[in-house]
Amino acid sequence: MKKVLAMILSVLMVASLAAGCGGNDATDEPTTDPDATTDGGETKVEGTIVVKALESAYGADMWKEIKEAFEKAYPGTTVDLECSVTIETTLQNELQAGTYPDVVHLPTSRDPKIPENMISSKQLRDLTPVLDLTNPGEDKKVGEKIIPGFTDTNATNPYGDGKSYLMPMFYSPCGLFYSANLMEEKGWEVPKTWDEMWELGDKAKAEGIYLFTYPTTGYFDAFMFALLSSTDLGIDLYNDVTSFKEGAWDSEEARQVLEIVAKLASYTEPTTTENANNIDFSKNQQLVIDGKAIFCPNGTWLPGEMADSTPEGFVWGMTAIPAVSDSQQPTSFTFLEQIWSPAGAPNPAGADAFIAFMYSDTAADIFAKYGAIQPIPGVSDKLEGDSKTFYSIYDNGATAVMGGFVATTTTDVSTSVEYFDPVNLLVAGELTVDQWLEGIKAANTALGAGVEA
Amino acid sequence: MKKGGGRGLFVGLCVIPTAILFTLFMVVPTLEVFYYSFFGGFNKFNIVNKEFVGFQNYIDLFTKPSIAPKFIGTFQNTILLIVLVTIVTFGFALVYAGILSREKIKGQNFFRIIFYIPNILSVVVISSIFFNVIYDADIGILTSFTNLLGLTVKWKSGNEIVIFSLAIAMVWQAIGYYMVMYMSSMAAISESIYESANLEGAGRIRVFFQITIPLVWTNIRTTLTFFIISTINLSYLFVRAMYGTRAPQSTWVLLYYMYEQTTDYGLAMAIGVITFLFSFLLAGLVNAVTKREVLEV
Repeated sequence: MKKVLAMILSVLMVASLAAGCGGNDATDEPTTDPDATTDGGETKVEGTIVVKALESAYGADMWKEIKEAFEKAYPGTTVDLECSVTIETTLQNELQAGTYPDVVHLPTSRDPKIPENMISSKQLRDLTPVLDLTNPGEDKKVGEKIIPGFTDTNATNPYGDGKSYLMPMFYSPCGLFYSANLMEEKGWEVPKTWDEMWELGDKAKAEGIYLFTYPTTGYFDAFMFALLSSTDLGIDLYNDVTSFKEGAWDSEEARQVLEIVAKLASYTEPTTTENANNIDFSKNQQLVIDGKAIFCPNGTWLPGEMADSTPEGFVWGMTAIPAVSDSQQPTSFTFLEQIWSPAGAPNPAGADAFIAFMYSDTAADIFAKYGAIQPIPGVSDKLEGDSKTFYSIYDNGATAVMGGFVATTTTDVSTSVEYFDPVNLLVAGELTVDQWLEGIKAANTALGAGVEA
Repeated sequence: MKKGGGRGLFVGLCVIPTAILFTLFMVVPTLEVFYYSFFGGFNKFNIVNKEFVGFQNYIDLFTKPSIAPKFIGTFQNTILLIVLVTIVTFGFALVYAGILSREKIKGQNFFRIIFYIPNILSVVVISSIFFNVIYDADIGILTSFTNLLGLTVKWKSGNEIVIFSLAIAMVWQAIGYYMVMYMSSMAAISESIYESANLEGAGRIRVFFQITIPLVWTNIRTTLTFFIISTINLSYLFVRAMYGTRAPQSTWVLLYYMYEQTTDYGLAMAIGVITFLFSFLLAGLVNAVTKREVLEV
């Protein structure tokens, strides 16, 4: 009897092992090369297109309208839309299991780093052919509708080979946000240079108001990118730093940038570090509304994010980041949300048509209605209120910078840990600029080693 | 013979579902962790192409300049938490259990419930209680108290302090559960032993150390092993629930480092293997060190 029992058990065990293997094989399947089917829009667009979109400050209704508009423009297609704030959790699991969606709207520079990882493992589909597509009922190609320059940076062309693997969707200028009410009430001028900034900092400190706060150290990427582009070395320093060029941090100008951040740290509201994590960060943003701190680096989504706790009559102000060098203009980094398509997408023709559709007049109108601004000429003119002020930042003479760190295969060093997290320690006085610079230099070398030549 | 066979078949059939599920979801994945820790170059977006690297992942963890300091730091944090939280929790749990089960105090049941409540709250709730009510820089109870003393303590971000903030929350969470466990085994100790100790003139403290503790020793041993293993898991849950993905480096514990900071799967699996072996080793060690002659009540 024992034998029979043992037999049954062992057979089942072997069977279960085999079942495990079977599962593994299935995940290999969708990695077949899909590029073959994209040939300039001639392919018929049909079937189901699986779209995953991050629900950012613009809300989920916007994407529902887009889905309906697309299905109307392309009869016979169904858009299987999933739009949520926590899209990254589900998407990550799906990608891991080898279930690829067709289109993903999810920007780079977010903590889970999904697009970055897709870039460094070469899992994105080349979207350059989409630029030559034309939307139904229109005569301009997609490439002709996008503001020149937006498809040239490493935000869309991660490998620097002139091919776009991501497409620019919504852009929003980042800058220093402040309470316009507070400035008016106190009769303070918005500083244009760092000297004026420190002056204001001292004046405010005398009244018990701190000059600076920040949501989390993650916001220092845009902030430092702006500083890096406005030294005497100009945009070159920014390019060297973001491409992890050896020696990028050796110059005196690079050090100046860190010195400014370190000085700013001494003007930072002291409870900032306590809440500088992904769960409590809005408490720091609230400091600006409550008039306890003056400036907070952020993006145009801030007023929407804080709407629930903003008193009536509060007016947001936004200014570009003062230049490091006297000969440069104040600078503002443009945060760009991208849309992309994984190499394993089961319906590439549908994906291309959907992405091209994002730049159609119909779609642009829907996006603009919800305040999501695309890099299409004329769109920002339709804005009103707060947004108009924010998007006019470049009209007022600020230099725009775009892009971000290039893809690297180095996985054991991260910019967020080595470059930006130390700001918390600077504020707490537990780190010197020299130590910080040393850490950044080591990380730069390590990350640079993983950049494809 | 025939009758016995029928029963054997029945037992076999009953065991099969559990055996399959256990093999499929426990044994196979655990073995896979060991197996894949010898591979490199694969991550969550590329699980197909991997190469065999031997012990390189393990060597990297302890020697590579970009990894070793962080990994050793997280290991130290984990050990610190295990030692600190275990000692404090067990100390308090035993003393409270001794007091509540031996002494006549008004509202005994009330205290019992109060101490037990943290245990029925989820880690997320506890984290939010501690982060928003106790440690908050503006309105936190503990912060207000330290401000009163003229100290500025950054409970949530102070480099040296955060690990202790974590430990406090973990102790608070665990005391009640273990206290109730010890109270139940203390209740089983025969009253006559205490009576005779009383007659011999033994003081309360002496009774506690020489009668109560030795008689619940088996219970202490078992719970100690449980607790040490659960601390490894719980410490990760607390860090994650309190800070999200942006925890200060001085709070990183083994599982946090593995799950949140390591993108290379092979390396993460190696950390998993080390954690696995470490908890086994620690459990074995604790078991061996605490071995005493079993006293019957």
